[in-house]
Amino acid sequence: MLRWKYSRPLLTAVTAIFALLPFLGNNPVSNPGLQQTMAVAFLYGALALTYDLLFGFTGLLSFGHALYFASGIYVTAILINTYNWNFYLAILAAIIFTSILAALTGAASLRTTGITFAMVTLAFGQAGHVIISRDFGGLTHGDNGLPINADRIPSIFIGVVNTKFLYLLALGILVFIYLTAWWITESSAGRVFAALRDNEQRVSVLGLNPNRFKLLSFVLSAALAAFIGAGMLVVSGGGSPRFASADTTIALLLMVILGGPVTRWGAVLGGILYSVLGTRLNALSQGSAFESLPKFIKGPLSEPAFTLGMIFILIVMFAPGGISGAYYRARFKYLNKGK
Amino acid sequence: MSTFLLILITGVGLGALYFLVASGLSLIYGLMGVLNFAHGSFLTIGAFTGLWVSTKVFPNPTTWTFIAAMIAGGIAAGLFALLMEQLVINRLYNRHIDQALVTVGVALVVAAVLGGWFGNDLRLLPTPLWFMKAISIGDAIIPIDRFVYIAVAAILLIAMLSILKFTRIGLIIRAGVENRSMVSALGINVRLAFSTVFFIGGFAAGVGGVLISVFSYGVSPGMAGSWLIYGFIVVVVGGMGSLTGSAIAAMLIGVTNQFANYYVTGLGDFVVVFILAAVLLTKPTGLLGKVSH
Repeated sequence: MLRWKYSRPLLTAVTAIFALLPFLGNNPVSNPGLQQTMAVAFLYGALALTYDLLFGFTGLLSFGHALYFASGIYVTAILINTYNWNFYLAILAAIIFTSILAALTGAASLRTTGITFAMVTLAFGQAGHVIISRDFGGLTHGDNGLPINADRIPSIFIGVVNTKFLYLLALGILVFIYLTAWWITESSAGRVFAALRDNEQRVSVLGLNPNRFKLLSFVLSAALAAFIGAGMLVVSGGGSPRFASADTTIALLLMVILGGPVTRWGAVLGGILYSVLGTRLNALSQGSAFESLPKFIKGPLSEPAFTLGMIFILIVMFAPGGISGAYYRARFKYLNKGK
Repeated sequence: MSTFLLILITGVGLGALYFLVASGLSLIYGLMGVLNFAHGSFLTIGAFTGLWVSTKVFPNPTTWTFIAAMIAGGIAAGLFALLMEQLVINRLYNRHIDQALVTVGVALVVAAVLGGWFGNDLRLLPTPLWFMKAISIGDAIIPIDRFVYIAVAAILLIAMLSILKFTRIGLIIRAGVENRSMVSALGINVRLAFSTVFFIGGFAAGVGGVLISVFSYGVSPGMAGSWLIYGFIVVVVGGMGSLTGSAIAAMLIGVTNQFANYYVTGLGDFVVVFILAAVLLTKPTGLLGKVSH
């Protein structure tokens, strides 16, 4: 077995440590600023996992995943702000709305395959971005973003003192998504998803309808993304059109490639690393570390996208499988050493 | 009537710009199966080179310096495309998804490098004075830059079609689009065709970049974003690997976009996605599509 027998206890222990950190007195995570950063990172970790479900496990390269994430954010926010809905009911409605949206757009996109599929999903995602940023119907407030009405969300999530609860909320969502993704990928439908990725023709020869399962994977990952979106709404305090942009989907793709597809923990790790690096590299580059460098090197280095893009190129070219892939290769070598 | 003519010609001009972006995407995808997310970088590199030529090399913009800026932009973008093909794409031979992914990385890096060097602000690209003028056709007053876009795109379309039609390498490219494995099986070096296609595609995108920075009033590292997405849409609607298809689709989308935007601001983007969905549902290969890989 490639799996290390202590991997599950280890993951549980790591999660428990992260959950306790804000309460353990003086450590980096007791500072609300970092708690906020980590909360966002956990949510991106979870979102990357839902993208992995689509891209890694089912083999569907979608460039429109951000649409369903943003739909979760905006539908929840609009129902709460404009129509005075109950917080939990609004989240539920947002998930249902997003699932229907994903079923419709997914059914249309899945008439195509491969790279064309990528482009069609990109176009749908772009349409969503346009609807949000151009403020059709006056519901989304366009580029100004849509701050959530703080009176209508549970008071435990309001205020700087309570940032630790946002942190715990995000961690809780991540654990929930992780367990759900685990359950989906180990279920019989999950086996069909993997089979579709590996050999679609064989799946149809076995008498299963490939498109039906692709659509199932598409809708499931969209519904989970909408749920994470509702979490992001609470953590970041509002919606913004950038959540719906193609850049967000591309970031998800980078996260999955960085951590390695198809291993679940790879995507989560990639998402957390990418999100934290994106924030921290920015802070680092403002500091004195690069002062002495000439401008033509310092300029690009001060842009987080440069470092992330370079890492990404190198991983795709020289280390396919990312971090988790490298781990499993090393472990495979280790296990076969004696033979 | 005058408004109609103005919107129509503006739409065709916009379509001309879309075509410059889409033509390279279409050829590259048609021949090699590479979805090139770095195509936006070609455009931006072309625009920055054009800016450099028309501010630093020739500080007084005239018609000739603008032509020089376009050619310089095209060549710089073409050379960058060639470099990327040699250094990165070539090493991922036949790993289509990885090729697409690596171009995403290249696009990020190029935008970051340009942003780091020149800042992320919009810079105005100087144009000859007559660009600001308008001519009247009947009772319609039409800004003259539209005609420049159309003329340049038409020249490049004819040039590219002639290369494809009358040269040996063009023959190889056309054959490769239809059946690449058969062409290699006949012992013809397809690699040279790959490089040619990348250079030509990069050149068109670079020229397009210079014109786009005139159209959108400035050069910036992030300028390519929506143009690239429109390029993809044009390629899908026109059919992969078909230059004529891209040209027709670019006009269709440019004109529809302008008319929709005239009636409801912002509706244009939406209508374009609708066209895309309609074409894919009725004819998944696009209007004049040849490849199916």
